[in-house]
Amino acid sequence: MSNSVEINGLNKSYGKLSVLKDVNLNVPEGAIYGLIGPNGAGKTTLIKALVGALKYDSGKISVLNLDPIKNKWDLRRQIGYMPQTPSLYGDLTAFQNISFFGKAHGIKNLEEETNKILAFTELSDRKNDLVRNFSGGMQKRVSLACTLIHKPKIIFLDEPTAAVDPQLKQRTWALFKKLSESGVTIFVSTHLMDEAMLCDKVTILRQGEVLLVDTPHNILVKGKTKITVNRNGTKTELISGSSASALASELKKFGLDKEIQDITFTQDNIENIILDIVDKKK
Amino acid sequence: MKNAFIIGKRVIIQLKGDKRFLALSLIAPLIIIYLLKIVFDIITPELDMPMNEFMPVPIEMPTLATPKFILPVSAFIVHFLSFVLCAILLVQERTRGTLERMLINGYKKTSIIMGYTIGYFGLATLQAILVITEEIYLFKFDFATSTIVILFFVIWLLAIVSVMLGIFISTFARHEGHVFPFIPLIILPSVFLTGVLADPEKLPTWANWLGHLFPLRYANNILTTLTKPEFHYSEFTGDFLILIGYALGLLLLASRTLKESD
Repeated sequence: MSNSVEINGLNKSYGKLSVLKDVNLNVPEGAIYGLIGPNGAGKTTLIKALVGALKYDSGKISVLNLDPIKNKWDLRRQIGYMPQTPSLYGDLTAFQNISFFGKAHGIKNLEEETNKILAFTELSDRKNDLVRNFSGGMQKRVSLACTLIHKPKIIFLDEPTAAVDPQLKQRTWALFKKLSESGVTIFVSTHLMDEAMLCDKVTILRQGEVLLVDTPHNILVKGKTKITVNRNGTKTELISGSSASALASELKKFGLDKEIQDITFTQDNIENIILDIVDKKK
Repeated sequence: MKNAFIIGKRVIIQLKGDKRFLALSLIAPLIIIYLLKIVFDIITPELDMPMNEFMPVPIEMPTLATPKFILPVSAFIVHFLSFVLCAILLVQERTRGTLERMLINGYKKTSIIMGYTIGYFGLATLQAILVITEEIYLFKFDFATSTIVILFFVIWLLAIVSVMLGIFISTFARHEGHVFPFIPLIILPSVFLTGVLADPEKLPTWANWLGHLFPLRYANNILTTLTKPEFHYSEFTGDFLILIGYALGLLLLASRTLKESD
């Protein structure tokens, strides 16, 4: 399988502040690729460099075998970009916003295509409403529709579900899965581990550096899990590794005690996993 | 060019939908001109008083309530509002992320600038018609039809130049607040140096020359010529051409300074 994105030795700094440090990564075609890291890790900067909205200092980027700066117009026809903020015209309707961005690509049957994408993003019944009257989550969906209107081969999504309610988040990820199944490569940034778990592969970025590239499952087991055992109202807390064997070995200590009322597992959040990885690297 | 019209159409739809903005652009100049009228109504009789011994030399006061003074003031109002409102609207495109989104979707910067110009074309036309009509009605100016047509074109062209200036200045602003320092830098000096308050030819040489940097100077040259009892078109052809040159020059500058990537 070829790569949709290849990044080699990418560096970017603002004055003395280095925001991307020797970033290397490859995104396989058709994958859902997650870029995870805490706020300020350099996720948005990296995505902007990939879509040609940011000039980088050194290194090499290839998106669909094109240079995002030198071949920007060829590339922009084939990529979709959903910024972190909705970036829409509040005075226009959902339909007008989507078709405005669609017109830039010279899409044939634009009205039909706009209606299709409105249906795909479950916005058909609100298509003639002004975007400024939409909730944050709805605006994100319009923004996604604008990103998809020209059927891009790869889409870059910058925290697409930030400040979106859990139900809508689930539906949005279902859309991403559908897109991925149709062959679209998805490059998505997030700071949430539960979203990272839905990706095929994940890169952890911290302070502009790639800490780790792995599958979400392998990353998750690098973290810790807090086990809370409730025995007759007395709670016992244990910290265990997150692998199945580590969890089983901790639970073994309790045997098959009938007095256990419930057991809860709390997995590490992304920040803690990153700290663990950093500690282990020291 | 097709994309420029698409953007222009979008700007027009937005302008139509933004009642507050429309009111500011169209009604505010009319209100200010009306305020001028009521102020001039009380000042002019005072100027009619006989000279006393302490004022042996008649000082040249603006000939209030006459086209010579009213027209440059209204030109300034149109210039100021068109510049500020357009600059702020384009900066909002940047702060809201829609400018970046337009560029990544394949709209080129020249299309964006042309699109904005097309969008404001209608607004500038409407603004010029309303301002001229109100002045003729309020101040009872008795102009020949040909003079009114030229008046309209000057105000309209100045509005277009102001829009271009607004687009150009917006390329230096990261947010709306960055537009305001340009007001004392570009707009306010033009009040003193371009003939709004006094004949710039009577200013010190350096100030007179400095005044030539401001597009309002050329608009005022034409307006002043139009207020003469007799004039020939050749007297302001050069000023018209300079104003057109300003519009094209600013368009070129803006397309060079608008960044497609950070």
